[in-house]
Amino acid sequence: MKISPLFIGAGLLLALWGAAKAATPQVTDRAALATKSSIIFSGTVSQLAATSFAEVPKSSQTIVVKVDAIAKKPAAVSLKKGDNVTVEVKDASAFQEGTHATFYTDGWIFGSGVAVKELGHEVGTAGAETVPAPPVEMKAHGQDPITDQELLDRMKASDFVVVGRVTDIHKWNVPKPKSGAPSRVTEHDPDWHEAVVEVQSVLKGGKVKGSKVIVRFPNRNDVAWFSSPKFAKNQRGIFCLNRDQSTGVPSTKMGGQQVNVYTCLGHGDALPISDEARVRALLKNQ
Amino acid sequence: MKAVASSWLRLLASARSTIRRLSPLVVLLSFTAGVLAWAQSPPPSPIKVVNLIPASLSGETNQDSEPFLAIQNENPQVMVASAFTPNPFSMTGNAPVYVSQDGGKTWVLNAITPVQRMTCDITHAMATGENHPRGDLHAGTLACASGITLDESESNDVSLSTTMNVQSTRGNVDQPFVRALGVASGDRIYVGINDFNQASGRTATIDVSVDGGATYKSIPIEARKTAGQDGPSVRPAVANDGTVYAAFFGWRKFDGKTATSDIVVVRDDAAATGANPFQVLKDPSDKLPGRIVVKGVSIPWSNAPAIGQERIGSTLSVAVDPNHSGTVYVSWADKGSKGDIYTLHVRSSTDRGSTWSKADLPGTTIHNATNVALAVANNGVVGFLYQQLAGGRWVTHLAQSHDGFMTARDFILATVPADQPVEQFLPYLGDYDYLLSVDSEFRGVFCANNTPDFANFPQGVVYQRAADFTAKTLSDGTGNLVPISIDPFYFSVPVIP
Repeated sequence: MKISPLFIGAGLLLALWGAAKAATPQVTDRAALATKSSIIFSGTVSQLAATSFAEVPKSSQTIVVKVDAIAKKPAAVSLKKGDNVTVEVKDASAFQEGTHATFYTDGWIFGSGVAVKELGHEVGTAGAETVPAPPVEMKAHGQDPITDQELLDRMKASDFVVVGRVTDIHKWNVPKPKSGAPSRVTEHDPDWHEAVVEVQSVLKGGKVKGSKVIVRFPNRNDVAWFSSPKFAKNQRGIFCLNRDQSTGVPSTKMGGQQVNVYTCLGHGDALPISDEARVRALLKNQ
Repeated sequence: MKAVASSWLRLLASARSTIRRLSPLVVLLSFTAGVLAWAQSPPPSPIKVVNLIPASLSGETNQDSEPFLAIQNENPQVMVASAFTPNPFSMTGNAPVYVSQDGGKTWVLNAITPVQRMTCDITHAMATGENHPRGDLHAGTLACASGITLDESESNDVSLSTTMNVQSTRGNVDQPFVRALGVASGDRIYVGINDFNQASGRTATIDVSVDGGATYKSIPIEARKTAGQDGPSVRPAVANDGTVYAAFFGWRKFDGKTATSDIVVVRDDAAATGANPFQVLKDPSDKLPGRIVVKGVSIPWSNAPAIGQERIGSTLSVAVDPNHSGTVYVSWADKGSKGDIYTLHVRSSTDRGSTWSKADLPGTTIHNATNVALAVANNGVVGFLYQQLAGGRWVTHLAQSHDGFMTARDFILATVPADQPVEQFLPYLGDYDYLLSVDSEFRGVFCANNTPDFANFPQGVVYQRAADFTAKTLSDGTGNLVPISIDPFYFSVPVIP
């Protein structure tokens, strides 16, 4: 079973704080916070109503925290022990200079330093937390792995989640409209292709009509589409499908029958078959 | 390690190599003399080139292509730049812009656009009519998800994290290009758009707002029959007296590989506030609005790498003298002569676009080049920014001329390997870059391979991100090496007298 790095990271966090403190009823909240947060670190408040670099708007809600340990951050973000981070906190009265806490945050402003917005925090005694193992590095790039939360969100928004195999790929041209209006030429032309996917099992969405579905995908490497999955013949995987609302032609004929056409456009909408257990677990636990 | 690259480091490196060959006494004397010389050396080069990636994003490896720039004219310390830079921390957070509040010395990334994660086109301008010292930023963005959606939006303070306010939105358009002019009554905004919603395939359009973006009116500016549509680039330019020009590619034929196109310029003398905007400039050949600067040029269209790793098909720029609105320049790229991939041309008019130079201005026929951007300074000097593929390198030029290119000074801002890094998507460097004038400076942005190598930046360069100019490597700020990628660069070059 493949476990995502974020899952491991969240587990690591739980283990670390679990060791430092007795288990608390907020464990679930903490895990949820960890999932939502893009940057998690522990540190010591060094200044109140202050910022760590000039370009961050200073307010009574901004504090400066010296980083002791980092549990999670995007790979692109340069953040290490000893750095000063500006945190826009929800309730400034919860902090004093010297307060040691773990901060669950989202990114805000990136300049000579890092500024983040608090999603939640846990006050702890300085030094109580062990420095975590190497931080979980979350990548935000289009070709990088999708996080569990993002995948769950994608699956919730999908009409179908299926396990299947691509049996055919062919170019598909948008038919000329009856009005006679010409097709458009733009740099963002998706160069639509169709993949015929043989459905092996349906993980979400009920019964698929027939054993095969048509999935349209942009084959162009334009900036508009480079994050969209590109299909290949004999590819096996898990596909998050939505009824086609992009091409203006939401159905087609297959095997003599009019069938719905689907698209698979988002980052992470096509996953390798090795992710099946992860997908099933996420769907089960949602 | 945060590395600041400057000519000082080059001097040091050179000195070290010399010192090794000399005796200790000479070394001592040389060092002392050197220190004294440095202490008395003239101020650093007035030309500034800055890598926009902030130190705190030193680990990023994105293809941050297609740059753009807006300057707050009343407060030119404040600038906003953009590129195809994704939100660095969230797949669902807002796409960011780069903000400088110190005249371009430092930049931060602030995720304020209304588009999720990353735009697939963005341009912007900062007008000053509404007296917001860190605004008003007016942006045209394309969001590309299941379809393509244009948002025309505004920020009154780009230093805040507030998401820009969307004032107008619609689909079925391409390549928004924003210009703005601040006047006492508010901001006037002009957005060039290739609008597929227009009737009869006359798609070249200017969205005009004369009330700071509260309302927009879409004005078709193509008067002639097209090949089903015009080219993607529709470029407005605004003079201080309210004269507005727009240039576009009037596509007359298109076979999938080549567009046969007119280069057309329209003009409005009343800031496009009248009943029939952009109608005054008529072509003598057919008496229709839109002066044809050049008729029937062949423009290659390739949505795959065609010049180096870059695509081609719609490179266009227009600029007006801000203080003498009768003087206007237009530049475009076409097939050029045999053997060329893509050739730039610059033409000019000194009678409000009624007549145009019959040939390219001297020295402005540039072979195998793209990403042209023109601007005219307050003293009438025209700046000509372009990127040329030469000897396997992308070379970024800024040429300046005060006499219609009878004479010119050329500044090479960057010369970088064209084959590295490998493209992640198209456009590789951008379908455009940008140039503006403010006071006595040309300021602009371009994209390039970000290898920290002095030889690549003849005017010097400053990196905010962690870079080692001796080893010519990037790092993530904690010592781990980071692969090279495409980064946006800001520059400032003094306007020649």
